[in-house]
Amino acid sequence: MNNERVTIYIPDKQIKMGMGIWKEMFRELIKSRELTWRLFLRDFNARYKQTILGILWVLILPIVAVGIFVILNKGGILNVGTIDVPYPVFALFGITIWTLFASGLSSASNSMVQAGSMIVKINFSKVSLVVSSIGQPIVEFLVRIGLLVLVFIIFKTIPHWETIFLPLVLLPLFLLTLGIGFILALLSGVLRDVPNVVVLATTILMFISPVFYPIPEAGIFAELSYWNPLAHFITAARDIVFKGHISNQPGFIWSAIFAALVFFASWKIFYIAETKIPERI
Amino acid sequence: MSNDIVVKVETVSKKFCRSLRQMMYYGIKDIARGTLGIHSNSDRLRNGEFWALTDISFELKQGKTLGIIGPNGSGKSTMLRMLNGIFMPDKGRIEIKGKVGALIEIGAGFHPLLTGRENIYINGMILGLTKKEINDKIEEIIAFADIGNFIDSPIKFYSSGMFVRLGFSIAVNVRPEILLIDEVLSVGDLSFQNKCLRKLAELREKANAVVFVSHNLEHVRNLCDKVLILNNGKQIFSGNTDKAIVKYQHLMDQKRLESLENGRGFELVGHISSGDIFFADSGILDKSRNKTDEISVGDELVVFFELEVKKDIKDIYFSLGIHNEREELCIWHISNESESPGFSHFSKGIYRILARIEKPNLVPGVYTLSFAVRNSETKETYERLIKYKKFVIKGNRISRGIVNTNIEWSMLRN
Repeated sequence: MNNERVTIYIPDKQIKMGMGIWKEMFRELIKSRELTWRLFLRDFNARYKQTILGILWVLILPIVAVGIFVILNKGGILNVGTIDVPYPVFALFGITIWTLFASGLSSASNSMVQAGSMIVKINFSKVSLVVSSIGQPIVEFLVRIGLLVLVFIIFKTIPHWETIFLPLVLLPLFLLTLGIGFILALLSGVLRDVPNVVVLATTILMFISPVFYPIPEAGIFAELSYWNPLAHFITAARDIVFKGHISNQPGFIWSAIFAALVFFASWKIFYIAETKIPERI
Repeated sequence: MSNDIVVKVETVSKKFCRSLRQMMYYGIKDIARGTLGIHSNSDRLRNGEFWALTDISFELKQGKTLGIIGPNGSGKSTMLRMLNGIFMPDKGRIEIKGKVGALIEIGAGFHPLLTGRENIYINGMILGLTKKEINDKIEEIIAFADIGNFIDSPIKFYSSGMFVRLGFSIAVNVRPEILLIDEVLSVGDLSFQNKCLRKLAELREKANAVVFVSHNLEHVRNLCDKVLILNNGKQIFSGNTDKAIVKYQHLMDQKRLESLENGRGFELVGHISSGDIFFADSGILDKSRNKTDEISVGDELVVFFELEVKKDIKDIYFSLGIHNEREELCIWHISNESESPGFSHFSKGIYRILARIEKPNLVPGVYTLSFAVRNSETKETYERLIKYKKFVIKGNRISRGIVNTNIEWSMLRN
């Protein structure tokens, strides 16, 4: 009995100073990997269970969105300037990357509230909930990559071989999504406004990010894009596929560092504050 | 913590907030403070907050079962959630040795669109099993749940009984070292309840300790070594099970009495009056003839009535009735049936009437008095009060039914 682990619950979670807390956080993350995977499978399996079109819904949304922008572009209403590839390829690529971020944020911000009844009845790793909620957007992203390949073939666009580095280029975007997702999941546990704000904010962000247009040379949108890490991530992903290199390397690297900082800081905040949520959810 | 103590709770308190708006504000504030590493000052009440539990302390030794009983809203489930680490205490300290498993609600986390089998994996992992452990146990879980082919159908097509059986089956097969159980035995049909009780007996042998929250005093009596009584978030008793049960029944009787009387002397459930006799006071008396609300089982029962008679009346008699909580009439007497000295006339004035029942032979519980004054010739009713006064017969409420008797059991084998 003596060597058994004693669990202690006191008002303020005992926070180990220095590196101790990171060790605990990583241990929790690794210990709960099976649960994370299982929660992801649960959501994935359940999502399209009572639908006829099933996973096709993943494709319908971006096709409709891109269709609208292609029509706007063809009709001369939306002028995007010179781009290296046919506009449908450009736009579909943009929205595919963008949706990874937007739907990732949206599912992360809902993850704790949706599991509310479970959180107050069972003690389990809440990090698993947030991480697993990002799984669905990733699967959808992969399905959309399939659609993208089809569109590449139709428009006879050949990606550069450097495209194999795309996952690496997307990693900072993923970390940023998860990082902001942690904070939003916490906040929406207390404030139900959060998921609504997320929908509004990502819609606005989409229009000021170079999703359907390239970063302009000058003007307010150029200035905005300079300070917008999302703009750097999307542009870098496009560059690596369409050009074979990242044109604005410093911008991308600074954004990546920023994303990593956001991720680790948010994860730590989540770890410290998660015990305050169950009684309020 | 000394060697054989596996659960130690020291002056633990928990507060909640009444208003949603303030809860949101405090929530954001607390998260911010936690993030910045500032002490949350959780031991102080802020505006709109209240203590749901105050200064709870107990210890549980290895191999023992603790029962937590108390009226609704007394903080039992909150206590259990703190033991499970779902809620953090706002004051005090909880120490637990070993892996904790909780049966707080059956089937929490089930997804309605997934099959029973898929849900076993998800629920098992949420409860802390690994995939390998579930693979080893899944046949046992399915066999215990006993839901046949439905195991491969979506949970939403399950009957509520099947749902509960599957949930319970997963939960008991998690095999924790410290088991927390909240009211889960009240579900399912009798044969499944018995199966659960057998399983729990088996679990109790393997588990280091069990904490058991229930309203069912039979279960508490059979399962617990020690009992904690909570009332309005306060610990009013901690110790021996039999003593606790008597104390709890007493508490519940008091509570029922309070809620029935709403602070008034007595409540007139039904009142028919001719106006000739005015009913002034009534109640029961203890041994020294003082007014009381309760007597002990086996005591004599003395009922008194005070009547103010406005005019001379002839040929009167009284009737006295006693109903139990289930509204069954247990005792009924009229004054002209017995050998009592005749008092068939009232002249103007105030009267006090006593009725003494030497051996009421009623099982412990809450009872109500009814009383009437009638005319034996014309059968006219002067004053009638139906179920107007509550009183308690205290005692260990093992026996059910109406009549309190002594019984001797014996067994012969031919």
